[in-house]
Amino acid sequence: MNKPVKIIPIVAVLLSLIVIARPVMPKHDSGLYDLDTLARLPVSAGGRTKPLDTVARNSLMIVSDRQTATLDGKRRPAIRWLIDLVARPHEAGKYEVFRVDHPDVKSLIGAVNSDQKRFSFDHIFEHRQALSQQSALIENVERKNMTVYQRQLSELFSHVNVYTSLRDWHTPYAVPPLAQGEDWRPLVQDLRAPHPEHEGHEAHPEPSAAAKRLGYILMAYQNQEPDRFNSELADYATMLDQQMPDITRKARFEVFFNQLQPFYQGTVLYVLAFLLVCGSLLTAGLKGSVISTAFARATVAVLVVTFILHTFGLAARVYMQGYAPVTNLYSSAVFLGWFCVAMGLFLEWLFKNGMGAALSAVIGFVTLIIAHNLADGDTMNMMQAVLDSNFWLSTHVITVTIGYSATFLAGFLGIAYILMGVYTPSLTSERNKTLAKMMYGVIAFALLFSFVGTVLGGIWADQSWGRFWGWDPKENGAVLIVLMNALILHARWGGMVKARGVAVLAVFGNIVTAWSWFGTNMLGVGLHSYGFMDSAVMWMLLFVATQLAVMTAGMIPLSRWRSTTQ
Amino acid sequence: MNNTIKKALSPVASLRLTVALFAAAMVLILAGTIAQKYQGNWAVVDEYFRSLWLMMPIGIAGLKVPFIGGYSICILMLVNLIAAHAVRFKIQWKPGKILQAFINLFPTHSGRGKFTWKSIATILLFFSLWPFLLWHAIIPWKRAGIITTHVGLILLLTGELVTGLFAVEWQMPIDEGHSANYAHDIREVELAIVDPSPEGHDNVVIVPQSVLADHKDGAGGAAIQNELLPFDIQVIDWMPNAQLQGPMSAEPQRWENNPATKGMGTMALATQIPTATGVEGGRVDAPAVYMKLIHNGQPLGTWLAPLHGIGMGDTRQPVTVGDKTYLIELRFKRDYKPYTLHLIDFKHDKFVGTQVARNFSSEVRLTDPANHTDRTVLIYMNHPLRYRGETFYQSGYFGETRTILQVVRNPGWLLPYAACALVSLGLILHFGVMLSKFVSRTRR
Repeated sequence: MNKPVKIIPIVAVLLSLIVIARPVMPKHDSGLYDLDTLARLPVSAGGRTKPLDTVARNSLMIVSDRQTATLDGKRRPAIRWLIDLVARPHEAGKYEVFRVDHPDVKSLIGAVNSDQKRFSFDHIFEHRQALSQQSALIENVERKNMTVYQRQLSELFSHVNVYTSLRDWHTPYAVPPLAQGEDWRPLVQDLRAPHPEHEGHEAHPEPSAAAKRLGYILMAYQNQEPDRFNSELADYATMLDQQMPDITRKARFEVFFNQLQPFYQGTVLYVLAFLLVCGSLLTAGLKGSVISTAFARATVAVLVVTFILHTFGLAARVYMQGYAPVTNLYSSAVFLGWFCVAMGLFLEWLFKNGMGAALSAVIGFVTLIIAHNLADGDTMNMMQAVLDSNFWLSTHVITVTIGYSATFLAGFLGIAYILMGVYTPSLTSERNKTLAKMMYGVIAFALLFSFVGTVLGGIWADQSWGRFWGWDPKENGAVLIVLMNALILHARWGGMVKARGVAVLAVFGNIVTAWSWFGTNMLGVGLHSYGFMDSAVMWMLLFVATQLAVMTAGMIPLSRWRSTTQ
Repeated sequence: MNNTIKKALSPVASLRLTVALFAAAMVLILAGTIAQKYQGNWAVVDEYFRSLWLMMPIGIAGLKVPFIGGYSICILMLVNLIAAHAVRFKIQWKPGKILQAFINLFPTHSGRGKFTWKSIATILLFFSLWPFLLWHAIIPWKRAGIITTHVGLILLLTGELVTGLFAVEWQMPIDEGHSANYAHDIREVELAIVDPSPEGHDNVVIVPQSVLADHKDGAGGAAIQNELLPFDIQVIDWMPNAQLQGPMSAEPQRWENNPATKGMGTMALATQIPTATGVEGGRVDAPAVYMKLIHNGQPLGTWLAPLHGIGMGDTRQPVTVGDKTYLIELRFKRDYKPYTLHLIDFKHDKFVGTQVARNFSSEVRLTDPANHTDRTVLIYMNHPLRYRGETFYQSGYFGETRTILQVVRNPGWLLPYAACALVSLGLILHFGVMLSKFVSRTRR
């Protein structure tokens, strides 16, 4: 009788562990060349030292929107593409890596009505004449005034720049600072790339020892001498281990992190948790709800495992980047999701009614998907001077993000309340009470953190340029969240709304928070804007529409609700 | 409190008004944020947030509707808040309750008068928290959090008011190896007439911007006269923001009507251009003035004085009266300090291989003989220097060797810090009391 209660959670946890461990298992076929060691070599790019693996993956993410490259119909790991690109540039021209979506841009490179999404450098180079004509046309158009076609075109050009600057050894800064007073510098400064375009380029008269060794490694790869490649590489790696042990240790860890992809696996596991929660809800009506209990326990077990993975991912980023966990929009999404899951698990522990778990799974999944779509290149970029302050990053930014998380969680509780009440008979008067309590508590928490976070932001501004409040769009957005939460609480204290009203208002809180988090960036003004996001505007509007729809449903007279709460 | 007064206050004190004001504030802030996309930041702040009311565009066919402004909302919120507390305020005086709680903390099971580390800690806690406990003796726990929060909010709004009324922002550019004993206001200029003849110092007469602007009457207006001035100044034209054009770029007929007869005005024409919107964008107005100088009723000529130090570089010009030569200079309004900052070194680091600024820092020597101060300080991002009620921020730079410090005097700068502490404490107290009640109820 009690068997499923034990077995289902155990199976679910084992399954989760397999999902997590699979990508970091050693591969059998690692090829003739020791690409694993190559992937771990530290270089400097974007102001941060990182392994070559990260450079390869991030560059592919930028030009190709994925972390592998296709050659002859076969997917190759990023590091393989990178070494081909720098050591055998002519052959690497056949990799299909440039992602082009817009039909007009496609037709420009001779792919009319084609389903092909990614094109090789050779292919694009063939159509360089048409492209350079178009390039001249949009040279002086400001990005915000561009049409979709022009924007896609200018993106393609910038992707080609990323590609060629890797190929021609301008990036990353691969030569390490081994002598006193040196800094990382690009390989092209010491050696000349083997590309014909670089004839006449003035190379360093006497390349450094490290640059020479890098040159030997590349030469061995170019001449297809795997043994020599492997021994040169091993020597070089050992030397770096001795000379800069901290940096190589961090680089090795980052490669592990890249392979683990904790946030990607986390997305999968949150889906699993959500399916289990659905299983628990669907079987709840069955006789002797043993199965339902088993599913509920499995959900919590999987969520805890996933939460640990999520936490590890965040902690790893802090270690690698050396900053507090939230530094840009991407990391704010990861952190927001993490904190929502934490709060959801806490609510589950407090109320044990499956609501906290279900919302944890949904919000964890959604925020990681959002983060995935926000990732463009290196998500661990360095902070410009005024933001380069761990004290404020870890106080103001974290508190404000926690405020966002709590407001979203309250909003999602509101959605659950309305959907359960309007469309199902499951909103019993008992559930009605607990959900009302949950929403109230979470909104109170949200008010505390959004207020403190906003004022701390003002204090930071006062510390860095002597102005407590500047009416910057991001600041205004933060105040909107504070006002929204205060409004809900005062309306409830004044008896203007009850549980249902709080739910409807909390859903509106979702819109306000989404505006503050993303909408203000779409305005493209203000000191806080992280960058322009194109398709995000569409998603934002869609999100607002769904929230308004839920609010409307919530305002249907109670007599039409399927649940009778009174 | 008198019951009739309470009744009269109750509509003003209602929570419905509170909620309505929150909603109005949200609409106002959202509209203001969107307006910032089209207008300068500070124009929006003045129109939306620092106003009693405004005409708000609703985005349909250019229609505008009247809406309540930021000042009105703040005032109403304050009235609402104070009225609410006046109506609901209940005072208690239960010092015995505190004392009892204090005594209860002592270990009683082990006999009388036995002091343990626990009791010592309790006493220490009691003496460090006494203001709070006193507060608790007067206000019931249930309301203590809310009252603390609201006092904090009042403080926050007061702080903003003080800042709006009394804060001043100046800039202090210093070149490496040079010293500065003044800061200037980049939003206001002054005309300086410098007599460099005395040994060791200059004699300077200042004509403020407002006087220049007031005397803009064309050629027929009254001249600026003062016994300190070596000559009378007749303002021919005053331009709040001007652009200079050389002989090749200006229209020929404008050259024929060039009012200037002396100095650099004979080689360049000033044209009025619109003033910049929003100081945040870094655009600064560069005024210019055409003026006829008159000595003892005899005209000396008409000069053009464009802003010194911006764009055109050095625009100081000599004017000779009799055997004496003065320098005239239109410059940002200066505020001389009793202390001197000497820039030893300005550093501007970038992350390797990027254009991302890693750090700006100014190493300065601060000397103030009257205060017996002579020390070296490093001013960098997020680490300002606070001295004599003024704060020096690393604000910008020009080239590799000139630093630009922002100098702010804001008597209300500490208020937000206190407000933040009070509100946080109040909210934690309030929600903490709620949470502990809730947890103890579910535990039971």
